[in-house]
Amino acid sequence: MNPKIERAIYIGLIVVLAGLLVSFGKKEVELQKQIPVTAQELYKKLANPNVNIQIIDVRPYEPEDEDYDDEYLYYTDIHLPGAIPLPDCDESKAPEEAVEQINPYIPTIIVSRDGDPEIFKKCAQKFKIAQNLAGGVVAWDEAGLPTEDGEYEPPKMGGGGGCL
Amino acid sequence: MSMIERVLYWLAIVVLIVGLIGLKSQISDLEKKAQSAQVQLQEGGEE
Repeated sequence: MNPKIERAIYIGLIVVLAGLLVSFGKKEVELQKQIPVTAQELYKKLANPNVNIQIIDVRPYEPEDEDYDDEYLYYTDIHLPGAIPLPDCDESKAPEEAVEQINPYIPTIIVSRDGDPEIFKKCAQKFKIAQNLAGGVVAWDEAGLPTEDGEYEPPKMGGGGGCL
Repeated sequence: MSMIERVLYWLAIVVLIVGLIGLKSQISDLEKKAQSAQVQLQEGGEE
């Protein structure tokens, strides 16, 4: 066979396979978005220092009045360690120091009060790879996993937050 | 075309095929998980 033709066949085959690999990769990312991560799975991920992940909390940041009895309603009452507040997925409602920490290109876990799929759908569009926390902050707390309260404090030495 | 070049092309093709098979099994696994998550979500919505 003519070497030029043979080379073209090999290169063509490699290009087709690489194209398939890319499309499969995209499909995998899309599927991952549909699968919520459980509190235990997230805890395991966060405990692994090699996993770079950010947690975005979409609940309202702080109460406007003192008269409420749901402890899971506001970020400042209870949140996952290192979670970045982004109320309603709207940067204008988030503290300035929190907005600076948000990175849309790293794997992101969206945390709501109870894992609301609607707010997740809205928020997931802002991130390249996003997953919902099944059961939200309620499930996390009921699983007995560590929580924090109070205002958002950005990490001291860079990073995107989300570490335990 | 030299034998080395031919071997390198085949090596690339084999690596890509192995990657595709791995990714395909991961995708079918994820599809199953996504389906069960969807069912759970529907059951939760009906309650």
